[in-house]
Amino acid sequence: MLLEQLVNGITLGSIYAIVALGFTLVFGVLGIINMAHGEIFMVGAYVGVMTTGVLGWPLWLGFIAAILVTAFLGYLLESLTLRPLRGKKGVSHLAPLISTIGVSIFLENMTHHLFGAGNKPFRTPFAQLSIEIGSVTIYVVQIIIFVISILLMMGLSIWLSKTKAGKALRATAENLETASILGVDTKRTIIMTVVIASAMGGIAGVLVGMAFNSVSPQMGLAIGLKGLAIIILGGMGNVKGAMVGGLILGLAETFLVAYGDSGYRDAIAFIMIIIILLLKPQGIFGSKAAQEGR
Amino acid sequence: MLGELLNPYQLQIASFVLINIILAISVYVTLSSGQLSLGSAGFMGIGAYTSALVTIHFEFPIIVGVLVGAVVAGILGILIGIPALRLSGVYLAIATLGLGEVIRVIFVNWESLTNGAVGISNIPQIGREIVFTTRDLGFNATSLGLQNNQFASLSVFLILFVLNIFIIWFIVRQKNSRVGRAFSAIQLDEKAAESMGINVTYYKVLSFAQGAVLAGLAGALFAHVMGYISPSDFAYHRAVEILIFTVFGGSEVIVGSVFGAAFLTLMPEVLRFISEYRYIIYGVLLVILMAVRPQGIIDANILKRLKRSKGGDVHGS
Repeated sequence: MLLEQLVNGITLGSIYAIVALGFTLVFGVLGIINMAHGEIFMVGAYVGVMTTGVLGWPLWLGFIAAILVTAFLGYLLESLTLRPLRGKKGVSHLAPLISTIGVSIFLENMTHHLFGAGNKPFRTPFAQLSIEIGSVTIYVVQIIIFVISILLMMGLSIWLSKTKAGKALRATAENLETASILGVDTKRTIIMTVVIASAMGGIAGVLVGMAFNSVSPQMGLAIGLKGLAIIILGGMGNVKGAMVGGLILGLAETFLVAYGDSGYRDAIAFIMIIIILLLKPQGIFGSKAAQEGR
Repeated sequence: MLGELLNPYQLQIASFVLINIILAISVYVTLSSGQLSLGSAGFMGIGAYTSALVTIHFEFPIIVGVLVGAVVAGILGILIGIPALRLSGVYLAIATLGLGEVIRVIFVNWESLTNGAVGISNIPQIGREIVFTTRDLGFNATSLGLQNNQFASLSVFLILFVLNIFIIWFIVRQKNSRVGRAFSAIQLDEKAAESMGINVTYYKVLSFAQGAVLAGLAGALFAHVMGYISPSDFAYHRAVEILIFTVFGGSEVIVGSVFGAAFLTLMPEVLRFISEYRYIIYGVLLVILMAVRPQGIIDANILKRLKRSKGGDVHGS
């Protein structure tokens, strides 16, 4: 029982971690909380459902479709809502936040309009396949989710630390102007960051669809809030913090559902935000300077 | 004659406009010190549920219930504000977004108290209470040539109208006082304001708590005008809607909030076919506004120009 819950928690946590990574990448580079990230995630989940469930495509093709659609959404998000505000004099720091809220509410209601309010089932050919190890039952879906998440996180870490583009991204995150002076094409880096973050959101969307067997237009808000809670927990703009924070939240929620009141599951993220803000506002892995914000 | 002019349906919409104006002002007050709160729907819900529950279970008079609702929302605002406000504005937005969701989750799950997702019905309504009270005092609405329901809607409208005037008067007075100047100093540059000796945390919590009180008040009034509330009345959508009232109308001046709330409440009533696409339009509106006119439709410049043209033109506009 305990081990099974542990597996469930890690599966959930690794999805949360990917969502949080999308938030943290954008915040790290642009200093913006992308409120539309949850809804981009939701669109990814819908693309997954539509391609695999309705059109009958294989799962890997569904993943690619979700990645393409959400990456394109990310590109649109950057060029239509974030870029016009950047570098404009007299724009309040709240403007990008409000602008992305606009995108989020647009995407949610558009999806609602196109596909209806209810849950859509997500069918995978191996939904019921499971392996028994001793007394523990592990579903194949869980293993797939876990492996994809780990690969994604490892890939991102290596990309950030080893490749030229990744270094450019980190330089831009450190200081946009200095990076620009030193020859980093910051405009391209910013577009790339938002696109990659959105594509990761799309992948996470398909994974969540697989894990819970259903998608709905409101799922973006719930998961978005959790992602935000995680990056506060792990430290804003901190990649390692997002991964660890995701696992912590996933485990906490799973154990609450297993041993407590499942109705309050969505409240954990919020309680976590308040506790962290009171005790260690810069987050577990955050540096002191991050506290000042931007 | 008066009886033919007054349509209870139109009066009810007018009452909703007035409630929405209070909500828009609650966002305006918080924004005036440079803070973005996404919890207005949550505070509204707290006000509504508190007031509804105390009037139903303890049989408090409505006015006491409304005040209790506003105060409870304000206290909650202070409790949330203090940890979040020590940090940059982004944290407040996230914390209040979380708060709104948690409040909704509690409303849905605490079934013994809140009746869960079904919501609370049979909340005492302001209009009906007034009709009963005045009847007991020997006053009959028909002596004014009014039906009872017309009289009820009219009195609700008038009460809300007076309340609105009072709130706007208070906020305008505050804006030109020491407190208001501190708010705008913080909005312009928090560090500079701090170095000028302004107690930034105090004023930020103050403006945030004021917003919470106003939202709680509006929520309580909403409950007693509608007579029925459910958790879905206070979801994230409502918070975004309230934010749009202010951002669309103009967040620099209070006239903007009033205009935004009135315009965007009446719009779906006048143009029925828009109602279905309302939130899609809201989303696009927010993005366009931020890119083109971040200060909203009405700003200080327009007001100045209007005043000048009014001075020159006898007919005014």
